[in-house]
Amino acid sequence: MTTMRRKAVPYLLISPTVALIAAFLVYPIASVAYYSLQHRNLTRPWADGFAGLDNFRRMLFEDEVFWHSLGFTAKWVVAEIGLQLILGLALALIVNESFIGRGLARSLVFSPWAVSGVLTTGIWILLYTPSTGVLRFLGQPEAAVLGNPGTVFPAVVVTELWRGVPFFAILLLAGLQGIPGELYEAAAVDGAGRTRRFIHVTLPHLRDAIVLATLLRGVWEFNNVDLLYTMTGGGPAQVTTTLPLYVAQRAVDSKDFGYGSALTMAGFVILLFCSILYLRLSRFGEER
Amino acid sequence: MKMKVAWAALAVLAVTATGCGSDSNSGEGSGKTTITFWDNNGGARTPIYQELIKRFEAANPSIHVEYVGVPIASVQQKYDTAIAGGDTPDVGGVTTSYLANLTGQQALEPADEWLAKSSVNGKLVTSMLDSVRRTVPDGKLYLVPNTSNMDVVWYLKDKLQQAPSTWDEFFKDADELTRKPDEYGYTIRGGAGSIFQILAEMYSYSGLTEFFDASGKSTVNDPKNAEFLAKMAGLYKKDTPEADVTNDFPKMVAQFGTGKIAMMHHNLGSYNDHVKAHGKDKIGAFALPAGPGGKRTIVANPVDGFAVFKNSEHKDAAWKFVEFLVSHDGNSYWNEQTGQIPANTEAQGDAWVQGLEHLKTAVDTLNDPNTQVVSPPYYLPQFSSITKADTEPLFQKVLLGQMKPQEFLDTLAQKLTDAQAEWKKATGG
Repeated sequence: MTTMRRKAVPYLLISPTVALIAAFLVYPIASVAYYSLQHRNLTRPWADGFAGLDNFRRMLFEDEVFWHSLGFTAKWVVAEIGLQLILGLALALIVNESFIGRGLARSLVFSPWAVSGVLTTGIWILLYTPSTGVLRFLGQPEAAVLGNPGTVFPAVVVTELWRGVPFFAILLLAGLQGIPGELYEAAAVDGAGRTRRFIHVTLPHLRDAIVLATLLRGVWEFNNVDLLYTMTGGGPAQVTTTLPLYVAQRAVDSKDFGYGSALTMAGFVILLFCSILYLRLSRFGEER
Repeated sequence: MKMKVAWAALAVLAVTATGCGSDSNSGEGSGKTTITFWDNNGGARTPIYQELIKRFEAANPSIHVEYVGVPIASVQQKYDTAIAGGDTPDVGGVTTSYLANLTGQQALEPADEWLAKSSVNGKLVTSMLDSVRRTVPDGKLYLVPNTSNMDVVWYLKDKLQQAPSTWDEFFKDADELTRKPDEYGYTIRGGAGSIFQILAEMYSYSGLTEFFDASGKSTVNDPKNAEFLAKMAGLYKKDTPEADVTNDFPKMVAQFGTGKIAMMHHNLGSYNDHVKAHGKDKIGAFALPAGPGGKRTIVANPVDGFAVFKNSEHKDAAWKFVEFLVSHDGNSYWNEQTGQIPANTEAQGDAWVQGLEHLKTAVDTLNDPNTQVVSPPYYLPQFSSITKADTEPLFQKVLLGQMKPQEFLDTLAQKLTDAQAEWKKATGG
């Protein structure tokens, strides 16, 4: 009896964690996986039932919007992460230097991160609105940047940059502050200039911070719905529809939960695969 | 020990679970019945309902009505979520455009028996009652009509002196009233809600009187409709702002409110917005013009009203509230405030109806024996998703010149034809 109790204790201790993971992670994923194999459409209740791989066949072979949204999602993630990393690193390096008013500069740099997503889009929609927005100062009072397929992409990228750069700056600044000052001194003594010190001291020490920030941000940008949904609704003519936005349109707007679940599974698998691959390639957290 | 922990955990879960549930019984301790009412177009209408609820509660001291204003853009989603979670209101504002969807999920209680014994029986406009009954396969009255609407073109009287009576005149006016760089003759609804408006325009131009022909094929892609769509898409950026392609209702109204747009197609419901922006005297409205055939054709608007939900624990109190809302007084007050067409025949006879120019135009047009009425298939549960999520982005493609009008209409027609066939099969019709 005592041995049994002894054996049970560890399981008992981890059981709350297991229960929480089961309730909030395993169950939702399993239920989406289940619905992806079902016809479940609120507007066609008579056709509900087991679908097998029907939803996936439709997604892969018949749905142009799926492929288009996937392409746009890739373009969106790459553009955002690349630009956010470069600008975030630049900002972090600047506010890491000592100068008068650094405290104020740091708070200003980080402030956009504190603004809620919908508020951010609200501000930027006003900025882009024809006749009242900023474009009238550029002599283009009637240009609708969000309504023109040619300009909508840069317009939303800039908005998301405004919100996303501070995140990189915060994480990278924390990384920068963890680099011992002696390393720079030693490198300087060895004759390394600013550029070489950056490449051989700063970057290697920031590696984990960069990998973590790009991975987290990559997943978030992939799943970004609030900004695009409120700013463009995926339009005009679906040119800014990302995969998660398309899921929202199919599942929530068209009430086709079966198909929406299949699309969600596609996103889930893609993200899972990319994350594992990325962590492997970057050898995150390994001792060097 | 283990068991105790497990039970404790279960108990905690159970408590949290019930905590999220419905609280429709909250008023019971005080001897009052509390019913929840969801306004399907919360916002500008909220004060109207607050006043009506005040009156209702004064007349029925044992009932307390809890008002929830749901924004019109998310109302269908809210209902779907509430049905899935079993947390529906007692009474909800519902229109025929998503009625079939709700009855398809068995969410509503028919009102036929209540109405038969009610004081408002025989006082509701027959055509609206019929329209509601036609929307559902079993022909029952799941929605008690409160109001109906009609498409009109709003215009600024200082820009346009004479309302056009044909679409050709309309296109001419739109062009003449455009003064670059920033004054436009017209604004197109290119964002959310675009399809219903373009349907209303196309059928008023083509004069077709049926949405489906005898064989069940949609008439949407008729060459006459396509001819109109090409003309309308031709206005984009020429006589309308570039931003129109993403125009939803709030953006369109805001644009019209700047005073730089001469004409805007919407329905009677936006009257108060225009009055607020321009003042009563500057605003005019005309019914959608006639096409080359010369006959006035209008597409029937959804009927808006109230439904009692099946899950309600206080159905009698809920019905009492509905009955009050569609009574002469309630209905008259509501429609006078919103400027729409009352469903109560006694309210229709009230003096204020004749005093509002746009409403008189609408009632006259609807009652004119020469007016042809086309009824869209609101009974198709898929109608709403076909005309919104499925085709709105395609309409934007038409405006942007990325898709041919005929190709767009063929796609739309195919979807409607398929949905109609499927629905007929499913309902055994």
